[in-house]
Amino acid sequence: MLSMALIQALVDAPMLMAIRATELVFAWSLTIQTLEYLRMGKYTANDAFWSWQLQRDDIPNAPVRALLDVLFKPRMHQLHLWLRLAAALTLAVQGASLPLVVFLFVGNLLILIRWRGAFNGGSDFLTLVVLTGLLISQVVGAFGHVQLGWQAGFWYIAIQAITSYFMSGAVKLLRREWRNGSAMTIFLNGAIYGPLSATHPLRNKWLTLMGSWGFIVWEILFPFSLLDPRLAALFCAVAAFFHFLVFWFFGLNRFFWAWMCSFPAIIWCSAQFSARFV
Amino acid sequence: MTEVLFIVYFVLLVATLVIKTPIIKGPWLFLLRAFFPNWKFFHAVGYVPHLYARSAVALASGELQWSDWVLIYPRRVRRLSHLVHNPDTNIGLGQQNMVDHFWADLHDLPEGVDPRGLVSYKMMQRLTDQVLRARDVNFTHRQFELRMALDGRHGNLDTQVMMTSPVELAC
Repeated sequence: MLSMALIQALVDAPMLMAIRATELVFAWSLTIQTLEYLRMGKYTANDAFWSWQLQRDDIPNAPVRALLDVLFKPRMHQLHLWLRLAAALTLAVQGASLPLVVFLFVGNLLILIRWRGAFNGGSDFLTLVVLTGLLISQVVGAFGHVQLGWQAGFWYIAIQAITSYFMSGAVKLLRREWRNGSAMTIFLNGAIYGPLSATHPLRNKWLTLMGSWGFIVWEILFPFSLLDPRLAALFCAVAAFFHFLVFWFFGLNRFFWAWMCSFPAIIWCSAQFSARFV
Repeated sequence: MTEVLFIVYFVLLVATLVIKTPIIKGPWLFLLRAFFPNWKFFHAVGYVPHLYARSAVALASGELQWSDWVLIYPRRVRRLSHLVHNPDTNIGLGQQNMVDHFWADLHDLPEGVDPRGLVSYKMMQRLTDQVLRARDVNFTHRQFELRMALDGRHGNLDTQVMMTSPVELAC
């Protein structure tokens, strides 16, 4: 009953609510990521395998390399992370502003370079998508078109997220191993929490077959979420469950939160898109 | 009109899966690849790079006494609390990504070029040293190997060695 009321509230949410929901979930996601980075200092130290002394050879341009040498000194990098944490808290309390979002955007690029382009693949991508959406909203807003800015930002986030779900499903559909369900067992065996025990239900051929097809169909149908905000809320609820499973079996906790950040935009865009048909 | 554009967009997306286009590469594109969506999460089943390493202790006779090869592959214990704080698992996943990058770098390396100049090779040296040191503080030499493993539903089907490093002094 409560969950139905929550879904209905999301569906009826005006733009301001969608903005606050995006800001709050994104601030939470950034906080989780930043606190984790702060715990990884021993892996990025000069004698560790993520040492900047090694990675700096990846940078093709000497002046940029010199600048990054300064920015990626361990103390400087730590300072950046603490400032990022403060920025995430400010985003949660005060909401987005142009200087705040520019700082987070540039800082995010630096963190990606520090981790050789990506730390956590898909969650890095979605974090950047949401940050870009926020940046669009603030830049357009700075020219006096606040509502248009948020509209553009939300559509950017929603299209990227929906495209990702659709393409992930389509890619799986083209693979025989996904169509016959064996891919799921193979990936789960190779996962960080794997291998599956000999009697694990996900070794069952029929269960993995049904699971594979369930996810393929749900992902491919995701663009239909734009037809009705209640449908969008349902698709997002299934997505949350899917990302929880991905966390549970693959340890990808950042995926869960990064993708949650896109849900307010998807539901809001669905309400806007479907209103065209009324 | 919007609806038509919407449909055309998804048709074009499907077309990109069927039509092969050249891959553009470059150092900055690699470092800023998070701007470009990768929709192929866990899509392909095939040979997967696995890093193996072994350590040796130099005996008084000058001979090296080698350990067995060990697989350097992150395995962690799952906890629900990891949903909000999971640095150890994430660094393990990052470590395996690094092995994947090493494989990709080797794959793209022109014939006859020494892989020891690769950043990812140097990172592998550090990684193997760290793991081997946790097993034996006193080791003096190490060697690592990149093996390509093909797994099936019921276990490993095939393994091939892609690269074996020379015997090197531990850092």
